[in-house]
Amino acid sequence: MTTVQSPQTAETPAANRQLVSSEILPEELHPSSRIDATDVTCWFGKRKVLERCTLSMEPGEVTALIGPSGCGKSTFLRSLNRMHELVPVAAIAGTIELDGVDIYSEEMSPTEVRSRIGMVFQKPNPFPAMSIADNVLAGLSLSGMSNEDPKALVEQCLRRAGLWAEVSDRLNEGGMSLSGGQQQRLCIARALAVHPDVLLMDEPCSALDPISTRVIEQTIRELCEEITIVIVTHNMQQAQRVSDKCAFFLVESIGDPGRIVEAGPTAQVFENPSDPRTYDYVTGQFG
Amino acid sequence: MALTSPELQALEEQVPRDIARTVTRGDRIFRTLCASAAAVSLFIIGGTALFLAIKAVPALQKAGLLSFFTTSVWNPTVGDFGVLGLLIGTIIIATVSLIVAVPLAIGLALFINEYSPARIRRILTSSVDLLAAMPSIIFGMWGFFALQAPLVGVASWLNLHLSAIPFFRLSEPDAPLLRSSFIVGTVVALMIVPIITSVSRDVMAQCPRSQCEAALALGGSRWGMIKEVLLPFGKAGITGAILLGFGRALGETIAVALIIAFTIEANPYVLEQGGGSIASLIAIKFPEAQDLEISALIAAGLALFGMTLLVNLGARAIVRRTQIAA
Repeated sequence: MTTVQSPQTAETPAANRQLVSSEILPEELHPSSRIDATDVTCWFGKRKVLERCTLSMEPGEVTALIGPSGCGKSTFLRSLNRMHELVPVAAIAGTIELDGVDIYSEEMSPTEVRSRIGMVFQKPNPFPAMSIADNVLAGLSLSGMSNEDPKALVEQCLRRAGLWAEVSDRLNEGGMSLSGGQQQRLCIARALAVHPDVLLMDEPCSALDPISTRVIEQTIRELCEEITIVIVTHNMQQAQRVSDKCAFFLVESIGDPGRIVEAGPTAQVFENPSDPRTYDYVTGQFG
Repeated sequence: MALTSPELQALEEQVPRDIARTVTRGDRIFRTLCASAAAVSLFIIGGTALFLAIKAVPALQKAGLLSFFTTSVWNPTVGDFGVLGLLIGTIIIATVSLIVAVPLAIGLALFINEYSPARIRRILTSSVDLLAAMPSIIFGMWGFFALQAPLVGVASWLNLHLSAIPFFRLSEPDAPLLRSSFIVGTVVALMIVPIITSVSRDVMAQCPRSQCEAALALGGSRWGMIKEVLLPFGKAGITGAILLGFGRALGETIAVALIIAFTIEANPYVLEQGGGSIASLIAIKFPEAQDLEISALIAAGLALFGMTLLVNLGARAIVRRTQIAA
């Protein structure tokens, strides 16, 4: 394991964690968090799928991970909240720090990491046996948290996910009765209910129509004022529309692990990339 | 000129046309083979029921249909038979075995699916299969010789500490604890663990990975994920698995006959010596039975057949209903 100290360790991680563990903290005062990935390498069994990826995801920004299929974007994203290790043969090297605390160290449990760094998946996956309201609150019962006013929390989360107006009169209906786009926003609301500092989104719009996609993109822009967002997308227009920062992943030749070719402000990556391979990709030469 | 054909067609209501179904010879032969197999199984069920019903008539006539099911006697010399006590005993033993087996089986299924490393998973899976293939006489002998002593210890502990629950009381303070329904039920439990384990394991393995990941990604612990996602998902299938096990427990014969101190009367003191079941009655009495007693044993068999059928139908109904709800 390579351990590189990031400059943020000076920020006294203990203070940050105390803030998080007190759940009474009002949403408005919730500080945004940063994630610093340093030299992250991932394996599935003997196959190395990602090599020495270093990327900082800044507070209050949307970072987009772009690149062709199979270049390790999703693996990288899943390593950021310890979902990577759920695959039995998975392994990882490097450090990933949430506000200066290594999430793979003993200082954090996987459940704490995942409740602070939420995730929205490619395919909408509301819990089929639960109502819309129960879906929003599922994270609380799963992680043993309690909330004094669940009704208000449901409304708040559904509003933030841009779904409230459409479902406010049928909160007790099943989550599967919604359309695909609504289901995905329900999943966003569900992720927000546990008050994450960071939200990871793995191609959240790839299964949706353009109108639903636009609504979710609006939601992302609104959320990023309070939450740090990392989004994997295949859609380069989407990356340009929603992200502040972009990282371009690429597999050089078949069998190689994925690497970050270039990362920087979105405008720069798209309009004035420093690497010719980035230029080829963002201008549609391949991919 | 009369109406042209398109106009005529427009006036007429359309009906579905015949579709030519040409079946190849191979297909026809194979279909016949499969249909015969299906017919044989239906014939076996129907034939068995019919055989039991016909052969049971003499005893039922002699003892009286009502009193056969409402009394507890077994007197071949005067032709007086009643199996109420044994019906109750059968349910007692099967219930004890479920109480022991269900937590074991579901825990085992969850451990294999969710917690065990790949290598141990393989070993566990094949040993559960092996357990299912073990002849019940082996379980019976092992239960009789090896399991009784430790289980008597458990029984007296239960009686000492949990006698607030009526089932854990004894008829008299120093009643013998060997060869009881509790011991038999526990041995039968070990025999139905494999079927409950493997069916509920298969069901829970069907749970979409995306659901499990969603639960974990919300900061859920593995237990939280099991409680909120896996068990609700598998509810119908697990209920079915449990009832399958119950059906097996109702009919378990040789292990019960070997261990239980057989009584015709129902014994509500589960921890105490004595008890019985329909299947063990048949196993114990059959070798020396003649004429009317054979007919009475067959009538008892018919009662067991009916009870098992009801349980299975109930199981199907429950499974179907929960499937619709989900």
